[in-house]
Amino acid sequence: MLENVPILSLLILIPLIGSILVFALGNTRKAAASIALVFSAIPLALSIFLLLDFHIGATGYQFIEKYTWIESYGIAYHLGVDGISVPMVFLTALLCFLAILFSWDVEHRTKEYMGLMLVLEVGVLGVFTALDYFLFYVFWEVVLIPMYFLIAIWGGPRRAYASIKFFIYTHVASLAMLITIMALYFEAKPILGYATFSIVDIASVSGNFNYLFQVGAFAALFFAFGVKMPVVPFHTWLPDAHVEAPTAGSVLLAGLLLKMGSYGLIRIALPTVPDGANALMPLMLAIAILSILYGSLVCLAQKDLKKMVAFSSISHMGIVLLGISTGSQLGIAAAVLQMFAHGLITAVLFMMCGVIQHKVGTREIPLLGGLAPKMPVAATFMTIGFLASLGLPGMIGFVAEFSVFVATFDAYAWILFLPIASVAITAGYYLWALQRTMFGPLTDKIDTSHVHDVNWYEAAPLAILAILIIFFGMFPGVVMDYITPSANIISAILGVG
Amino acid sequence: MINLSPVYSEIIILLFAVGLPAIYYLTRSEKALSIASLIGIIAAMIPLLIFYIEGSQSMVFAGGLLRLDAFAVAFKLVFLTVALYVTIASIRYVQGERHLAEYYSLILLATLGMMIVASSLDLITLFVGLELASLSSYALVGFRKADKRGIEAATKYFIIGALSSAISLYGISLIYGITGSTMFADIGTALATLSGMDPMILLAIGLLIAGFGFKVAIIPFHMWAPDVYEGAPTTITSLLASSSKKMGFVALFKIFLIGLIAVKADWDVVVAVIAVLTMTIGNLVAISQTSIKRMLAYSSIAQAGYILIVLPIGTEYALAGGIFHIITHAFMKGGAFIIVAALSTVTLGESLADYKGLGKRSPFLAFSMSVLLLSLAGIPPLAGFASKFWLFSSAVDAAIVPEQSWVLWLAVFGVINSAISLYYYVRVIKYMYVESGPEDPIRVPNSMLLAIAITVVATIVIGIFPSPVLDLCREAARAFFSGM
Repeated sequence: MLENVPILSLLILIPLIGSILVFALGNTRKAAASIALVFSAIPLALSIFLLLDFHIGATGYQFIEKYTWIESYGIAYHLGVDGISVPMVFLTALLCFLAILFSWDVEHRTKEYMGLMLVLEVGVLGVFTALDYFLFYVFWEVVLIPMYFLIAIWGGPRRAYASIKFFIYTHVASLAMLITIMALYFEAKPILGYATFSIVDIASVSGNFNYLFQVGAFAALFFAFGVKMPVVPFHTWLPDAHVEAPTAGSVLLAGLLLKMGSYGLIRIALPTVPDGANALMPLMLAIAILSILYGSLVCLAQKDLKKMVAFSSISHMGIVLLGISTGSQLGIAAAVLQMFAHGLITAVLFMMCGVIQHKVGTREIPLLGGLAPKMPVAATFMTIGFLASLGLPGMIGFVAEFSVFVATFDAYAWILFLPIASVAITAGYYLWALQRTMFGPLTDKIDTSHVHDVNWYEAAPLAILAILIIFFGMFPGVVMDYITPSANIISAILGVG
Repeated sequence: MINLSPVYSEIIILLFAVGLPAIYYLTRSEKALSIASLIGIIAAMIPLLIFYIEGSQSMVFAGGLLRLDAFAVAFKLVFLTVALYVTIASIRYVQGERHLAEYYSLILLATLGMMIVASSLDLITLFVGLELASLSSYALVGFRKADKRGIEAATKYFIIGALSSAISLYGISLIYGITGSTMFADIGTALATLSGMDPMILLAIGLLIAGFGFKVAIIPFHMWAPDVYEGAPTTITSLLASSSKKMGFVALFKIFLIGLIAVKADWDVVVAVIAVLTMTIGNLVAISQTSIKRMLAYSSIAQAGYILIVLPIGTEYALAGGIFHIITHAFMKGGAFIIVAALSTVTLGESLADYKGLGKRSPFLAFSMSVLLLSLAGIPPLAGFASKFWLFSSAVDAAIVPEQSWVLWLAVFGVINSAISLYYYVRVIKYMYVESGPEDPIRVPNSMLLAIAITVVATIVIGIFPSPVLDLCREAARAFFSGM
């Protein structure tokens, strides 16, 4: 029934129209926030439509739209989704909607804030649906600009430094990708016999590329996407950006922007230069383990709650990379599931950091304590979020991590004991932090007399996320059914069973 | 009867340029001057647009000294477009100054000189056009006689300009001595048949690089540019950065890619090194500037470095990318300087700190500046991204040929430099939106807003729909290499 509706274009277009409307009409806080909320709710509805209308199990891309854009160089406006992009599209639409809802009380320059949030949504949705390298790159870079402003204008005290660091760091990585894209284009042109920037077309012939070229191209792409994920040692922009970003900015940064990195690896790097990917699997494995352990160990030492959550993201994205580095069907599918899980869970965590900062006035763990009786609803959500993040069975984080570990054992056997050690560390820092902030006696280091519980616009997104975390934890198959067939194709290209 | 159609545009511009003082004498109206200039510029565009739309054949004029082809048309349109928005922006910027007839007339004469360069098939013709443009610009830089900075800039510009002309003329005479011709095509043929290395050729190449290097302000011949750009009236800075410099590139393309292509092995590595140094030093020095005009001047030097990679790559694809970048740069840099000019009409200073809080004081100017700067940095979907993309990709393309593989480094340095440049471009945006400053709103003259809007709209539209401009550039590059 939806065959003739360009649903992907609508998904991208509606937030864009919304942002124009916000800039044009959002002169009061309420007007800006309402328009933004409506124009992020429609893409969410569309993305659910997309989920329902998607043919599970069918191979290849669906909902394809292709129009010539720059004819002389074979550049097309080419969109499409498969089982890997569909959950990401849903996650994007969901988190953008919830982040805007959560930002209901932003009073400083609301118009620009809401407008930029919608532009950000346009960019991320574009990245997850583009099937043309040029288009992909355009969306990829478009994401940077609103995020730069979100950090620079609404961020914390060191926002100027953090925003420029974020912009330049990730831009350098993008440029490495840009050169690789050009190289892939020129390599594929003589083999294909025509010029195209199509991700699909180039991947169809790239198996013939010279081995060294493939290794070089994969290394460059791994750098480009690794910075975005981020993996150690390219992670240093992330704690700064996170700590300074406003809450909704952190939610989108961790929930979506990091996923762009791992998505790029899965969508582009692995299937396009499979020989290069296979050659560098050991390197990916090593970096994954390093990121997992480093990220979780650093968390133990953090005093700032938000910084702790930021470093835990490095560790959790390391688990995504671990799944990818197996190259197996299960490993890649589990990596995508972990991306999805991390998107939901990390959103709760950053929202909770925001709530505490907002209500209590500080995120310094040593100053906090015994907040649970003051804010019972918040404490509940925080507990759910922390438990989900440390991988408690019954929640989606557990399923995802467990699947990655199974795939890792399958591929690398006893090496698994290294990354799995992080599970204990993770449980340690989360429980310890929870204990020191929410439970125990009420602190006397700061004045907590005025602290009250979450508002409706904070509770609603937290509740929706908590429900989804538990629902998908109980029924992970719902998501896995989408992911698995597409993951199988990629691992088949890699030649890994 | 001579067929004058290849030079219709030049004739129109010339008539208006010499007619302006007469118009002023008759009307005594400043308005009449600017309107007449604008009519002249638009009228001169018409034959070019007809030529392009009809896809006409190349036409040779004056016994093979000038040729109207897609390449010349592309550049003439660039020069005229720059003249157009500079004139629009000037209406209020120079209002009430003395010698306004000469001011507008000199802009037209400078443009005429550039147009001759774009059409030239011969070193002497090229030199004549170049000098016409240069002499007009010296006078324009020193247009405000009471402004000490302007006079200093004009003097500096004149001395450096005259010196570089002399150096290039020396190079030209050596080339003539070696090859017996001043026609690019004949020089190319003569050098191709030359066997062995002639030290004279090396000397000539060195002199030509130095002479024209001064004109386009590449390292190490760039010292004058920031001072002159800073001292000149800002509308004229816009003209210098957007079209006068581009004329220098036309000259370099013609001399190196046609005249000296046979001895490319003698100069390609040297020029490549100069290109990399130019972009790197330009960018690094730009970071430490506190004056926005100087910052933009150094960024112009860096951008010249990007365009210079066309020469060592030397393919049609690269030339198309270079022309594309020249076109987009004309809009981006020209627009940025006009914003600076517009703000100076409301006595806003030229230091970066003066731009604090501009986002609140003038949302349109701050937005326009952000678009232009992000485009200069090469952020999609703006025009500067598209043009840099083609420019740098030409290096990747050329590097596929094994013996040419070293040119890949030009792309790598290009993108690294793009990343460096992002820092100082974004810093301006940070000043405008993040830092707080005075709150009183700013109103700048409508004519300047129009000029700025032209450049901003062009930057966005070319970025999203590059095809028409890109096709023009490809055709221009094809015409350049065919039948010279």
